[in-house]
Amino acid sequence: MKAALTALVVGLALLLMIPAASFLYEAGGPDACARCHEMGAAVGEWRHSTHRGVACSACHGDALTTDVRFHLTNAGRVIGHWRGEAGVKARLGPAQVREMLVRCRRCHEQEFASWSQGPHAVAYRSIFLDEKHNSSRHLMDDCLRCHGMHFEGGIRDLVEPLSRRGPWRLRRAELAEEPAIPCMTCHSIHRRGARHEDRRLEAKVPGPRQEKFRPSLAFFDRRSQAHVEAALLPLPAMHDRGRPVRISPDPRQALCYQCHAPLSTREVFSGDDRTPVGVHEGLSCLACHEKHRQTTRASCANCHPRLSNCGLDVEKMDTTFANRSSKHNIHTVKCADCHPKGVPPRRQRALTSAD
Amino acid sequence: MIPSSQIGGGSLKRRTFLASSAAAAAAGCGRKPAAAPGYRFLTPEEADTLGAWVDTLIPPDEDPGAREAGVVHYIDIQLTRWFRKHQSDYRAALSAIDRWSWSRRGRAFALLPLAEREELLVQMEKGKAPRDLFPDGGRAAFDLVLAHAMQGFYGNPRHGGNRGYASWKMIGVPPMPVRGREHYSAAETFPERS
Amino acid sequence: MPLPKVDAVIIGAGAAGPIVAKELAFVGWRVVLLEKGRWYTPADCRKDDLRNQRNPTLGYPFGPEEEGNPRVIVELNGRERVVKPSEPGYNNNAFCVGGGTLSYGAMAWRFHPNDFRMRSTYASKVPRAFENSTLEDWPIGYEDLEPYYEKAEWEIGVSGDVSGDPFKGPRRRPLPMPPLPPTREHEILEKGARRLGLHPFFIPMLRNSVPYHGRPACMRCRWCVGFACEVDAKNGTQNTVLPMALATGNLELRTECSAKEILVDDHGRATGVAYFDREGRLWEQPARYIVVSCGAIESARLLLNSRSRLFPQGLGNRFDWVGRNLQGHTYTGANGLFEEIVYDDLGPGASIAVCDYVHGNPGLAGGAMLANEFIRLPYQFVSGIRDPDVPRWGRAHKEFVRRAYRRIIPVQGPTQEIPVFESRVTLDPKIRDRFGIPVARLSGYRHPHTIEVSEYMAERAAEWLRASGAVKVWLRRAGRGLSAGQHQAGTCRMGRDPKTSVVDPWCRIHDVDNVYVVDASVHVTNGAYNPVLTIMAIAYRAGDHLAREGRRA
Repeated sequence: MKAALTALVVGLALLLMIPAASFLYEAGGPDACARCHEMGAAVGEWRHSTHRGVACSACHGDALTTDVRFHLTNAGRVIGHWRGEAGVKARLGPAQVREMLVRCRRCHEQEFASWSQGPHAVAYRSIFLDEKHNSSRHLMDDCLRCHGMHFEGGIRDLVEPLSRRGPWRLRRAELAEEPAIPCMTCHSIHRRGARHEDRRLEAKVPGPRQEKFRPSLAFFDRRSQAHVEAALLPLPAMHDRGRPVRISPDPRQALCYQCHAPLSTREVFSGDDRTPVGVHEGLSCLACHEKHRQTTRASCANCHPRLSNCGLDVEKMDTTFANRSSKHNIHTVKCADCHPKGVPPRRQRALTSAD
Repeated sequence: MIPSSQIGGGSLKRRTFLASSAAAAAAGCGRKPAAAPGYRFLTPEEADTLGAWVDTLIPPDEDPGAREAGVVHYIDIQLTRWFRKHQSDYRAALSAIDRWSWSRRGRAFALLPLAEREELLVQMEKGKAPRDLFPDGGRAAFDLVLAHAMQGFYGNPRHGGNRGYASWKMIGVPPMPVRGREHYSAAETFPERS
Repeated sequence: MPLPKVDAVIIGAGAAGPIVAKELAFVGWRVVLLEKGRWYTPADCRKDDLRNQRNPTLGYPFGPEEEGNPRVIVELNGRERVVKPSEPGYNNNAFCVGGGTLSYGAMAWRFHPNDFRMRSTYASKVPRAFENSTLEDWPIGYEDLEPYYEKAEWEIGVSGDVSGDPFKGPRRRPLPMPPLPPTREHEILEKGARRLGLHPFFIPMLRNSVPYHGRPACMRCRWCVGFACEVDAKNGTQNTVLPMALATGNLELRTECSAKEILVDDHGRATGVAYFDREGRLWEQPARYIVVSCGAIESARLLLNSRSRLFPQGLGNRFDWVGRNLQGHTYTGANGLFEEIVYDDLGPGASIAVCDYVHGNPGLAGGAMLANEFIRLPYQFVSGIRDPDVPRWGRAHKEFVRRAYRRIIPVQGPTQEIPVFESRVTLDPKIRDRFGIPVARLSGYRHPHTIEVSEYMAERAAEWLRASGAVKVWLRRAGRGLSAGQHQAGTCRMGRDPKTSVVDPWCRIHDVDNVYVVDASVHVTNGAYNPVLTIMAIAYRAGDHLAREGRRA
């Protein structure tokens, strides 16, 4: 009896010990969090960030969170801290990056919905188990630079076999439906910036100045396991067979260019590049592509109210980039594509005066 | 390819440096001083002194100086990790330079204007600092802090320094170049061998 | 604890071991490959400028681990220091699968035909190079290695264009891949070289310029030498011959296994290898043949640690030659400051070379290939390149970095060293590693003639930079202390006479007919070039020989 009681007390104590670490974090609010120096940088950034009105616990959970792994991670960190094994800074593991999706969604419902309908919501299964891709191209670690960048480990820890024969499977089956390019690929939550309160501030004018430059925009660099803010990312100086190509100065595009990247030759359409040339040269990616869903639907109408400059109905053209042979490939179309003998003088005048 | 033995790290004369730290340890009490808020090892006074020191080595101009770029944090973090063996060296050197500053200028080192801080560091670099404070004249401590300051300012931000890639911005090197990869079909290259 | 006997056990999975393993596995031998370090992949490329194989400020990512692997270095003044891997003087190469080839710069040079006959070439012309030196001819020549150079170039993969090098030895096939397009530095230096009447050309590199053998082309990032390649475009043994060998099913690779000694029976034949696994358990791997491929320092250390009744001085060391003639390369050159921006952010950076000064320098024995240096990260620049007229710190220094970072071209070359008998690896009588095995003790110096040649090379580099338009040039000189590092070589010299060498021309130890040393240890001299392709060619040749001549179980 006595032994059973002791066991019960010890058991209860142990049970309480687990969330105790989580309690320890939140006991004093943000300052308590910042007391652990490995968290100091994150809390410092948060203080000046867009999300400074959101409490730590709203995203990171608290003592009442029911997920056992969450508490175990916290307990592990506290132990690590006291043993002097703490890292330079606390960073989110892959599981936590996944959980962030749900947390971002709480406030950013619309962005989330939009993203989840777009190509960037692609799941690990579609990227890494694609038969057509895997039988013609090699799976390699570098794939993870732009897909599954939050995965901990190399390609050999993710997919097997690493041959072109298949059948392929994910070594961790639970990843199959997980998004391979989650919010935290392009957003760093703690990034310094002004708080967005008034949504009416976002201008109605399309193009690069469509909205304020979001301070959270940052690319997750898998190699250094850190975000690099968009303002520090370069826009490449592109060339089209020797001719320098005009590029929109929209700094948000620098994020796109990290993955939709040209080769070091900077030739348009080399590698994964999609820099527009021709009549749409100089437009920002985001002038046409919706930022979360990437759809271009109806974006033509932003500039071509009803008709194109040529009097054609742009909505009925085959404008897709995927069809390289289309005469109206929106990334390449030139005046001369439709006017092989040169643009008629009347149109020329209309075009230059409109410009 | 440069053999690593030829790349200049911070070569330091440990023996002389240890002697100075032993002197300081003897002077101080045995208890471990409390680190400043947000720091792991340095006390508030030490962080100030070191900040002034590294800002003399890499002063702010149109670009951030060492302190603003987080060099003190870099050193502080590494003092509990990779530079643990230098803890006593730092403790001794930071206290020595401050005492020297008080005795010579009547002020803490952290409060001296740049030119006066420079003057003291020049003496140390030449090994001409007072021997009762720095047994080797200050050269070892100077070289150690110089090497660490350069690492913290020009190295990768993941270690706590070079905040916001300040130095890379200064020299015009983007942190992440735009680099795509050639697409190729595996059949074009080489048959699998298994 | 003894394990089942195999045909061959190879110790060390660096530049040479996996090649021998592949040659043997392909003819059906059962082979065990032991490697002290781990197997890293491109996923382990962390692009950390303070923690890589060329800058261990915060340690080496690809080994050895900082604790438990000390060495002792004896300095010129006789002072001894116990050094950890990241400390100056350790003379590290990587400890991992692929060895140095995982993170190297990957220059793929064939030695010059005269590099194999330094005595014949210079004995009468430059007698002072032979005073207090062990400068000697190799027992084999360029023509013996030529087919194996070719095999290495095609099987492991080399890009470049050496057709513009009139000084090269004869070759039957061109390189399998074209060079990467020239960088701005290349174009500037090419004009300068032509102005001087030199013969510039594209450096051969073990790096894909086009997709090759199932891996992509270099994407020209700036994290190159010292780093594992992010896109796996750099060809080492870990991503070429080793997967091929493993695919045969005949090779077993055991990582994190540290050899303790080679076991020898009472008849003077080796029976196997004793090694510690990652948990520190001691195992015995019996084998018919033992191949030692640990690099010049560790191979010598293993042989010296393999003492037995018949070999009380260590295996192959009857005449005290094991560990002798430790050498590397004496790098000297010059940095040139230009008015215009020369930095174009394209890796690997090194691109153009001249071989006009490899031999035939007036009054000197040997010389060096000269090339522009690999691309530099900011901290590498700050710690390695400074105008001597600029202070080391303060406003002027910051201004110098800001302005000069993108305006400096370094040119340098590996001066062929004159081997010295007293530059050597021995065992330290006191210091031991984490398994209790005596550690390597390095002592010695560079031959004065090496310094003389290296000074001449620095002047040539400066001349080249000036002719290319540099507005200011300053030299980079060498110290006189021991040289080994990543290019370490020479400690188990190849020769025909057992009294003055350790292994025979097939890399077999003179004393013991089933132990081979296959790595740069066997180099009699280390050439005027980066040595890795020669190490690989020797490994192909030794592996080929063993596969044909060896007796299987």
